[in-house]
Amino acid sequence: MRFNEKELVSLSRQPSEKAAELGMRGPKKGDVVKKRLVKLVVNFLFYFRIDEEEPIGALLLEQCRVEREDSQTFSIAFLDEAERKYLFECDSEEQCGEWVDAIIKASYEFMRKNLIFYRTEIHRLTGKDPLEQYGISDETRFQDCFTIKMTLFKENQPKTSEHLV
Amino acid sequence: MKLHEKILTHYLSCTSPVDKEGYLYKKKARNATYQRRWFVLKANLLFYQERPGDRHLLGVIVLEGCAVRRPESDGQFGFSLVFEGPGLKTYRFAAGDRHTQESWVKALLSASHCYLSLLVRDLGRQYEEAKQQQGSGESCHSSSVSALKSPTSFFLPVQGPTAEVREGRSLSASTVLQAPTKVVARKSPKLWHRRNAHVTPLNGPAPLYGEWPLVGFDPLEEFSKLHDYYGQEVKKARDEWLRSRQAQEERSDGDLINLG
Repeated sequence: MRFNEKELVSLSRQPSEKAAELGMRGPKKGDVVKKRLVKLVVNFLFYFRIDEEEPIGALLLEQCRVEREDSQTFSIAFLDEAERKYLFECDSEEQCGEWVDAIIKASYEFMRKNLIFYRTEIHRLTGKDPLEQYGISDETRFQDCFTIKMTLFKENQPKTSEHLV
Repeated sequence: MKLHEKILTHYLSCTSPVDKEGYLYKKKARNATYQRRWFVLKANLLFYQERPGDRHLLGVIVLEGCAVRRPESDGQFGFSLVFEGPGLKTYRFAAGDRHTQESWVKALLSASHCYLSLLVRDLGRQYEEAKQQQGSGESCHSSSVSALKSPTSFFLPVQGPTAEVREGRSLSASTVLQAPTKVVARKSPKLWHRRNAHVTPLNGPAPLYGEWPLVGFDPLEEFSKLHDYYGQEVKKARDEWLRSRQAQEERSDGDLINLG
């Protein structure tokens, strides 16, 4: 599958609030812990060999489960394969907790859910749709599931003007 | 650099909603021909394949750090994704008609993680303010509503003539939030001190202030600048598009969320 590698590498070089040297272990049997610079940028986790400019790899942090393994270690499991986990060893309990928190909150889906929650609540409290002023009220992205179904239903209705001759 | 593709394809096929999909023509880099591809936009990822339902994905474009631009000559319903930085690509697309073009441009403008992050922050603030107003027993009418329209310290000067959208202007996908050109921020003196009281909501998500892995800027400062600079363009484009839609269809332009 092609992807915009240069652009993604450029993204990995952006400043990030969450970047640290952690011990990282891959999910396969036989993988060992290696010291990596791990960096969280948007909803990607990049990992670099220490002092290298280009990351070795990028993990998309969506549909994954982040868990505390012990006081200083957390894991990320992808693809509903609960046993195949990436492990990350931190220097302290506090650091570990911060990473787990940051990774969960970095997920696009997590942010979307919060947005929908705020939108619904603001509308309930004020009677106004807060997305109206930005002109994005009808973007599918910001709808809850029920509204998406209604949108698709409406869009699939025949356009009356085209049938009148 | 290795992009763990299985994670992306798994995300694409999971139950969370697709933000937009459809046919577009994508320009090949080498020989400037266009190829029709089926595009699927989900979160900040634009996937493409030959046909819908194809097992084999041709590729994905990660939509961070790019601007959405319309071409100089508007013959082709085209638009491009311009990645900003030395040596970075520009992806060129053409849609089948004006409606499709505008609809994709709109969707891509609000696709980035950075954009969503700003939006969530802003709504989080509005939510806190709305709750505090409720808490103090004030009714949500008149003065409180006008303060909520412009939640923080945005001053939105009405600028310039309303002309058509200038071609070739960059509409940054990562940070555009639309400005209402007619509303001028009014700071109610009653609300001033409350704006600074950050109260943890008891029954909502945890406050998100200051905890985002942001991509290197101060959102509050950028926010008001970008409102002024880009917001007008987006509103004009949208109004144009809405007008042309309303000419074709009879349905009302109401909000799709009916929370009444």
